[in-house]
Amino acid sequence: MPKKREAESFLPLTPAMFHILLALADGEKHGYAILKEVARRTDDKVRLSAGTLYGNLSRLESSGLIAESNRRPEIVLDDERRRYYLLTEFGREVAVAEAERMQEALGQARAKHLFRKEKLA
Amino acid sequence: MQNPKLPHSQKLFRALVRVLPFDFRTNYEGEMEGVFREQHREAEERGGFLEALRLWKETIVGIFATAPQEHWQILVGDCGYAFRMMRKNLWFTAVAILTLALGIGANTAIFSVVHAVLLRPLPYPQGHQLVFLRQQAKKLGIEDMQFSVQEILDYRAQNRTLSGLVEYHDMSFTLFGHGDPERVRTGVVSANYFDLFGVKALLGRTLLPDDDRPGAPPVLLLSYEYWKNNFGSDPAIVGKTFELNDKVHTVVGVLPPVPQYPNENDVYMPTSACPFRSNKTHVESRDMRMMEVFGRLKPGLTIEQASADFSAIAAGLKSAYPKSYPDDIGFTSVASPLQEELTHTARPTLLLLLAAAAFVLLIACANVANLTLARMARRERELAVRSALGAGRSRLLRQLLTESLLLACAGGLLGLLLAYSSLTLITDFVGRLTPRAREIHIDSQVLLFTLIAAVGTSIVFGTLSALLSRTNLSSSLKDGSSGAGLGRRHNRMRSTLIVCQIAFSFMLLIGAGLMVRSLIKLQQVDAGIVPQRVLAMRTNFNWAKYTGPETTEVVVQKLLERVKSEPGVLSAAVSSRYPFEPEIITGGPESVSFSFQIEGRALEAGQAPPVSTFASVSPDYFTTLGIPLKAGRLLADTDKSKAPDVVVINESARRKYWPNEDPIGKRVSGDGGEHWVSVVGVVGDVREFGLDRTPPPEFYGAQAQNAQPATLIVRTAAEPRSMARAITQAVHDVDSQTAVTHVLTLEQARYESMASPRVTASLLGTFAGLALVIATAGIGGIMALMVSQRVREIGIRIALGARPASILRMVLRQGMLLAGLGVAMGAAGAFVLTGLVKSLLFEVPPTDILTFSAVGAMLLSAAALASYLPARRASAIDPTEALRAD
Repeated sequence: MPKKREAESFLPLTPAMFHILLALADGEKHGYAILKEVARRTDDKVRLSAGTLYGNLSRLESSGLIAESNRRPEIVLDDERRRYYLLTEFGREVAVAEAERMQEALGQARAKHLFRKEKLA
Repeated sequence: MQNPKLPHSQKLFRALVRVLPFDFRTNYEGEMEGVFREQHREAEERGGFLEALRLWKETIVGIFATAPQEHWQILVGDCGYAFRMMRKNLWFTAVAILTLALGIGANTAIFSVVHAVLLRPLPYPQGHQLVFLRQQAKKLGIEDMQFSVQEILDYRAQNRTLSGLVEYHDMSFTLFGHGDPERVRTGVVSANYFDLFGVKALLGRTLLPDDDRPGAPPVLLLSYEYWKNNFGSDPAIVGKTFELNDKVHTVVGVLPPVPQYPNENDVYMPTSACPFRSNKTHVESRDMRMMEVFGRLKPGLTIEQASADFSAIAAGLKSAYPKSYPDDIGFTSVASPLQEELTHTARPTLLLLLAAAAFVLLIACANVANLTLARMARRERELAVRSALGAGRSRLLRQLLTESLLLACAGGLLGLLLAYSSLTLITDFVGRLTPRAREIHIDSQVLLFTLIAAVGTSIVFGTLSALLSRTNLSSSLKDGSSGAGLGRRHNRMRSTLIVCQIAFSFMLLIGAGLMVRSLIKLQQVDAGIVPQRVLAMRTNFNWAKYTGPETTEVVVQKLLERVKSEPGVLSAAVSSRYPFEPEIITGGPESVSFSFQIEGRALEAGQAPPVSTFASVSPDYFTTLGIPLKAGRLLADTDKSKAPDVVVINESARRKYWPNEDPIGKRVSGDGGEHWVSVVGVVGDVREFGLDRTPPPEFYGAQAQNAQPATLIVRTAAEPRSMARAITQAVHDVDSQTAVTHVLTLEQARYESMASPRVTASLLGTFAGLALVIATAGIGGIMALMVSQRVREIGIRIALGARPASILRMVLRQGMLLAGLGVAMGAAGAFVLTGLVKSLLFEVPPTDILTFSAVGAMLLSAAALASYLPARRASAIDPTEALRAD
């Protein structure tokens, strides 16, 4: 199966998509938790609205990058209206491919001395 | 369900979410609401009002950015699904697309005509300012008496409403210097004619005021088509010279490819170059009228103001020149928009055809809705399953509408092709009604119309079928069979649609039937001549060579003798015109009418003078055409230019002007008593201005005593067309510079004179035929479906002892009931609507019993035939098979 090529066909991901995949990288989460995590990790620079979040979730789900999780938290912590999403193996490949793409771009920027001071050294 | 205790923010959010597609909402709405609630609470805690406002902004932007993407994805999915369904039901798809294509194609074709002819402004700058002027003698029934040179000068000098006033007339001249002598249609116009219309030359220049000066060097302007076809678009044409009317003319320019109004010409020349128009008597006379006049309204002025202006000028002329405008002929002059002038004959026919095309589309819609319903019956299970899997009603509606939209678009595309391929035929037809026909083409607005027709159509039949999915579909899942309850409901709907189809088809067939009846009546009319084996042709002598009546007399005599000497020629005559000549069919009797006075009969105050049409003919005209003598004598060879002036009248003239006395020997004058002409004979009436027109009073003057002849008429022993070449040669033997054109048999001319009603009847007949086929197929289809749905019931009936014949009768009865209802409704509608086509009918009442009964019988027998096949199938059902099935 030409998995690699298929993963690359999703690139480049939109920032919202990449951050959603990233948020799910360390475990399954429900929609609001994804949104909070993205905001926290980006210092509120990427703020997802409900519409953008679920539009992206819908597309990621139908392309098989994420899936709905069957596991639920303990009854006391659970809100039955919430659905939990997890990153699929394919989703992880796509996220990695995107991260590599970004790294490569960053490397090229460095090689060209785009940054006056090596901020990210 | 709306919760009244819900916070406003939540309610607003729910409303906002509705822009997202149904499927998406079903999946995520609850969660989205939860997320938004949390975000809202947090925002209020964090920054109060401003934070909340920021959240709203982001939320609104987010939802409106997501909605189009989600809708698009669903559309793509639905289309894919619809394509699969269409492929699965190829038969249904083909029939539906074809039906819609016929409906949409018919409408597109007719709309392209209506758009070009009636709706689009004239293709000239500020075309709405162009007006057509007419002098009228209302009490004589003359709508357009044309203008004389003196009148044109008066109107030009006195009017205050026009920024320009130009004259036009056309003639045929023989052009030398480009191969064989060639007859060219020549427009003779004022120098500022093209400036007034706003037409600039493609090559060289148009006419200048100097060209119009008496004695100016003659110049010519070529039409685009003439330049292209006869000179191969020669770029060096300007400056070339040709001989016309014994004078050398220089080409000064070529017109661009614009529509030429009022007539198409090969060349144009200024008035000073036309030997007739520039003739001294013609210029000085107030009564020699042969010109048309056009004007351009000053900016901001209305047509009513122009009409008032012109009728005031006419009143002034009347009191200044009482001899030229006798009291109480009802003399006046009016202005009308040029656009209206060019289209008024075509309007009723086009609107009738547009209505007929709309009917065809309605019938097509009903038929496709019916097909869809029939298919829905088979798809009920599928739809019920989808519904059970969570597809809501609006989701199914959306799917069904997508399917119908695809069908309609395919139908529209095919319809467009049909319309496009019929365009030449239609342009040709409309060309007989209006000079705007050449503007007909399929442009962006016609395409838009087709798109609207297709989308509208899909909405009509898509909604019809989707409405039925409102029924609780879960019932059809429980129901093992094909949904008996729903089936019945469908059948009622289908029956209603069938009744409507039959009714509309009936109305269309009545329209077509009336036109056909009218055409048959027209064909049966006795025109008063014997048109078989008569050849007519224009013999365009170069009259500039033959000045004076004597030389003309000699050459006419020579011509007739030479033609008569040709073997196979029985008789020959020359005349100013002949029956059914295309020009007089278009122009009508007014174009050749004159008013006169009868000796010893003074007009009472307020009485209009007598009026009659006039033709100048050589003595053998009557025998050549087979016009019978009724009293007195025919014209004779002795009625020469120097002999006393004589005239032969027709029976209409006798009935109208000498009802109780013998007209022979009575004298009339057409020039206020200066010359008197004796009536020497009475001949039969000829319907020469069109078979549908009552023959007007007619005077036949002796050719030798009147205008130079324009046509040659020959009766032959054999097929007349086979003699055309020999006769043309005979004419050339007399004068080789004579162009012989418009060679036509009288039967052809008679046939051509009926072109407009014939084409209307055939187009309407085509539409009605389409409607009949669609409706008959519809009735057959629904009966077949009903039978297949009732196989079990019929099986039981047969098992219980019903005889096949009674089953056959039962199904037939049902089909005929629908057809009967449709015919009754159609008849009621037709009674109301046919009044509208009255003006297009000839001697057929709009409620013609024969047409109504024939059409009714035809539709009913078609319905009977269509129901017979399913009925026979029903009567042949094997009860054991039927009961075992399912």
